[in-house]
Amino acid sequence: MLMTGEQYIESLRKLKTRVYMFGEKIDNWVDHPIIRPSINCVKVTYDLAQDPEYKDLMTVKSNLTGETVNRFAHLHQSTEDLKNKVKMQRLCGQKTGSCFQRCVGMDAFNAMFSSTFEIDKKYGTKYHENFTNFLKMVQEKDLVVDGAMTDPKGDRGLAPHAQKDKDLFVRIKERREDGIVVCGAKCHQTGSINSHWHIVMPTQAMREEDADYAVAFACPSDADGMYMIYGRQSCDTRKMEEGADIDLGNAKYGGQEALVVFDDVFIPNEYVFLAGEYEFAGMVVERFAGYHRQSYGGCKVGVGDVLIGAAALAAEYNGAQKASHIKDKLIEMTHLNETLYCCGIACSTEGYKTEAGNYQIDLLLANVCKQNITRFPYEIVRLAEDIAGGLMVTMPSEVDFKSDLKVGRNGETIGEVCNRFYAAAPSCTTEQRMRVLRLIENLCLGAAAVGYRTESMHGAGSPQAQRIMIQRQGNIEGKKALAKDIAGIK
Amino acid sequence: MKCGVKFCGGCNPHYQRGDAYRKIKADLPEIDFEYAEEGTDYDQLLVIGGCSACCPLIDQYTVEDEVFKMWSEDHIDKIESKLEDRLQK
Repeated sequence: MLMTGEQYIESLRKLKTRVYMFGEKIDNWVDHPIIRPSINCVKVTYDLAQDPEYKDLMTVKSNLTGETVNRFAHLHQSTEDLKNKVKMQRLCGQKTGSCFQRCVGMDAFNAMFSSTFEIDKKYGTKYHENFTNFLKMVQEKDLVVDGAMTDPKGDRGLAPHAQKDKDLFVRIKERREDGIVVCGAKCHQTGSINSHWHIVMPTQAMREEDADYAVAFACPSDADGMYMIYGRQSCDTRKMEEGADIDLGNAKYGGQEALVVFDDVFIPNEYVFLAGEYEFAGMVVERFAGYHRQSYGGCKVGVGDVLIGAAALAAEYNGAQKASHIKDKLIEMTHLNETLYCCGIACSTEGYKTEAGNYQIDLLLANVCKQNITRFPYEIVRLAEDIAGGLMVTMPSEVDFKSDLKVGRNGETIGEVCNRFYAAAPSCTTEQRMRVLRLIENLCLGAAAVGYRTESMHGAGSPQAQRIMIQRQGNIEGKKALAKDIAGIK
Repeated sequence: MKCGVKFCGGCNPHYQRGDAYRKIKADLPEIDFEYAEEGTDYDQLLVIGGCSACCPLIDQYTVEDEVFKMWSEDHIDKIESKLEDRLQK
């Protein structure tokens, strides 16, 4: 049963998720001004699913239940599904100008579904059944699930078991007849507070001595022993300013990251998907990362659409829209953005069916996609800042633009002075100009830059992780054979 | 005359699809437009795509007469003209 956006928000109020920020426990985190924009962002994934103009992308018939479900809870059944996933993400990026957080769960579902099938095939375990039952529940209740992968990792030169602090990778601390007790933490967790449940996965391939760290499971976000410490974002406290609107750039939507701590959390057997079968940890990581690297070919493109639009508006408001170099910069931004989209669509089109029956993306092309994502948004941002001009970072606050304080020789107020000196082309008001420049600031170096820039760099794996995969998948031997053949080398 | 309406998912529409639909609906009040549902019979089906891919799958719908596809604002007049023709028949 699909939830409405309002029902989603009410469902969060029923959770007892422990959230801490600025050294304090936040009891009403749903309405907290710093957190709420990120909740609004997830709400969009529910609202669009109810809208006839978008539900063709946002909803799909479940292969598990036969019911209509939100695509964010779906197992991809074809390359068409894989492409529609990317398109849906572009749409959500366009509508929010932010990270809408729900894709990590979708990518975890698809990675765990196929991986648990293959683990069971080798070991006769019941992980696939556990996972499928869990996913049916998620689909039926239309829940948001965080896909949690990144461990703190401590000293990068040491394996998990060799760390001085044994909890720097999530691990099984105790095995009981009815389940496992886990401890550790996951970093950078996008949307964790806004999720009803978490799927926890290992962060890297594991060896035998790290078998206790090869663990995957699901747990409710308010499980006993679990809590979250909210991550700071650039300019975040602007949201705490009274009446803040224009200075936020994007007053309604935003992303969210947190440190999620597992302080001896009991996981019943029915929610365990991997518990010591260490040679499968790498498979889970590779598949999740593959899907997530595909995801960025949709979500970042949607946000890029917003930034390109904002840059074009800024040019228009500055009266510079006819300058040939401005037109050329907008063309370059579009070219870069659509190249990313091409990568997302390409790795989807070349997807294939797994043993479990859901579809996996083409790993090489997904890694090429993400490698480009580590670069192109930075260039798009550079061009947007070039077009916008320095005012996007030197402009007085909206309080000044609205101030009645008389400061001029003839009684001019601060507001009148600001509006006079920051007026530009007649096609816009000064406030409209302020709004679009603040949006560009938000995306390029404000709160949304967490998602559009640094997450583009490190999310779904840092650049080197993709280069390793590109090396593995690149078929250099095949290419050498082609060269030998043409060059006449026997 | 009952005309089902199916929008594409709207990943990157090149025009306001909703506005186009509302115009067609307002211009042709004699036609009973409704969002297409499986299991319902329609005389016509209007597919409103956002770009030339006009990608929605429509095999699941039952359409007696014809499927009309549009993917640009420029198609509004042509679509209205075709629907009017059907109305007169």
